[in-house]
Amino acid sequence: MTDLLFLAFAAVTVGAAILAIEARDLVYGAAALGIAFLGVAGLFFLLDAAYVGWFQIAVYIGAVVVLILFTVMLVGPKKGETPLGLKRVSLLAAMLMSLLLGMTGALANATAFPGPDSCGSGCDLSLFSTSLLKNYGVPLEFMSLVMAAAVIGALALSKTDRGQ
Amino acid sequence: MEPLSSFFAVSVILLGIGIYGLTTKRNAIRILFSIELIYNAANLNIIAFARLRNPPIVTGQVLVLFTIALAAMEAAVGLSIIILVSRLNADIDLSKLSKLKG
Repeated sequence: MTDLLFLAFAAVTVGAAILAIEARDLVYGAAALGIAFLGVAGLFFLLDAAYVGWFQIAVYIGAVVVLILFTVMLVGPKKGETPLGLKRVSLLAAMLMSLLLGMTGALANATAFPGPDSCGSGCDLSLFSTSLLKNYGVPLEFMSLVMAAAVIGALALSKTDRGQ
Repeated sequence: MEPLSSFFAVSVILLGIGIYGLTTKRNAIRILFSIELIYNAANLNIIAFARLRNPPIVTGQVLVLFTIALAAMEAAVGLSIIILVSRLNADIDLSKLSKLKG
């Protein structure tokens, strides 16, 4: 059961990621990116990180993909789509990719990383939330500070001077 | 339960797709897609490694929570920069942007 779910989620994630990079239309690309994020969230669920999975769905699909769609509509879908002439760089990327895949293949004997047994009380959400608030309270506050700075920076960047 | 190495494999494939997009595409929005894919690969890797022990290591999940929030902020700032560039330049092809060149 879990194997089937894993295969489905992995296939959806990888296929949608390729589609997001290679789709002709940027709007379709953004939609495929959302589906890829959904697949990654499913993989999080399989890894017993349910809260992180829901957070991923809320933040990525609810905020980032919608923001990207807005930007695509504002900028215009047809802009910036020149055919690429970077043969050498794409060859380098393909070589790097195959190198990484080969390294994974060397690493991926199933005995080295066995599947963990189903976790009972260890996967409790209360453990996660107490750790988040007790041990990481100060980084959490810094995170909200950084978030405020990012929002103010984005607003300042996209402000127009209509008077000029 | 699926062995964790298959999760690592999915993460590496996502990273490869992201690097491919970063190096071959010129559209700024497309490059932002690639950056988000690379972020997701890193998050999946961290969550899978946090699951290596039983009970899972909570620190990994907290770290991924922070990473997701940072990625969302990065997307917001990057998209506002893209909107600014498209207003100033009428094109968001990154190979044509040379205004900051000395």
